[in-house]
Parts: sequence; C-alpha cells; structure tokens
Amino acid sequence: MDLELRVKLAVYAHFAETGRRPSAADVASRAGVEAGEVRESFASLRSKRVLVLEADGASIRMAPPFSGVPTQHEVTAGGVSYYANCAWDALGIPAALGRPAVVRSRCEESLEPLELAVSDQGPAATDWVFHCVVPAAKWWDDIVFT
Amino acid sequence: MLFFRSEERVREWCARTRHPLRPIVRMDQLWALAREWYSTRLQPDSRRPKPDEMGAIFARLGLVGDFWDPQSDTFGGGPRVS
Repeated sequence: MDLELRVKLAVYAHFAETGRRPSAADVASRAGVEAGEVRESFASLRSKRVLVLEADGASIRMAPPFSGVPTQHEVTAGGVSYYANCAWDALGIPAALGRPAVVRSRCEESLEPLELAVSDQGPAATDWVFHCVVPAAKWWDDIVFT
Repeated sequence: MLFFRSEERVREWCARTRHPLRPIVRMDQLWALAREWYSTRLQPDSRRPKPDEMGAIFARLGLVGDFWDPQSDTFGGGPRVS
C-alpha cells in the first residue's frame, strides 16, 4: 500500500473511531510513517480534493463527510458524536460508517431543530428538504462556503 | 448545502438573504447522493466520482439541468454566489 493511501486511511479511521480530526502526529503514529511524510501526503490529498486543510497546512478542516471543526450538523452513531460539513455530508456520515445514526441540525430559515433517524435503509420518512445555492460546477471554488 | 423544514422556508430564506432559488432536493434523493459519494469512503479502493460519473448519478435521481452539470460554464461568467 502506498504512503498516500496509508495516510488517507489513517485519517479516516481516526475520524470514524473518535469523531474528531487527527493531528499529523496521530496520523504518523497510526500509519507508521514520519511526520514530514504526513504533511507531504496531506498536501497531495488536498490537491486531489480528498482533504481540505487549514492555513497551517497540517490541520484538517474537512475529510468529507467529516468536519474537523464543530458545525451545526451533528451526527451520532455507535455512541460517537461527529460533525458534518453540510447537510449532504450529514447523511454521508451514516453512509460512510455503514451504521444507523441520528442527524441533528436545523432549518436555516426558521431555526426549527431537525432530529432525523437514519437506518441502513436511509432516513425516516420526512418532508424536510435540502437546498444548495452553488451550482455543481462551482462547488470546489470555495468548498467551505458550499 | 442546508436543511430546510419545507420548500416555503427555502423560498423565504432565498428572498431574505438574496440568494437564488435553486432546485429543491427531497431527503430520499439526498440519501442516494450521500450513498453514492460516501458509502466506500473508509475503504482502500474508494474514490470521488469523476465529472461524467457525477452527471450520470444526478440524472438517475432526476436531478438534471445546468445547475447539476459539473462541467457547465453557464455560471462561470457571472458574479460569485456569496
């Protein structure tokens, strides 16, 4: 397995197990590589739109569907609490984990809270909806805004 | 990419914040998108859908038009949505 793939899998395994972003040192330890190699891999994974990094180049802002920072979209699964980057990613977390979850978020207009159970068959029946203002061709122009 | 209680709440939010109204997606469609994007994300052989694959996924779910075209230049020359 090549270095970059080991780093990517270590990042995602850390998120899946803890719900929080790993430090570069966490990833180095888990992947069995040097810290410098982790930073090089992070930069490469950023260029391939696998990770979104903070300005320091070492802190993970996004490993979609997981968010490295708290957001309004919280997901609980298997006793672990996660943050999602957006509404799409809030359903992406149970899809990635392959386990039932509860999504907690809100209506952006009314601020009414959303609590949505998601099984392996998908979300419970609901008339809540999803809306995105950014066209697909522009999503990665500013992925944090998207 | 946000949740709304109803289509009416989307319209109110767009009017209040002066954002354009875009296609509204049902939760079952969003679940299908989430599975397409992320169901293998923790596995060694996972990869992001390529643009032509994205277009096919959207089309299967009935999400068609320039908004869903990852290679569209329709939105390229206008002011940035912000």
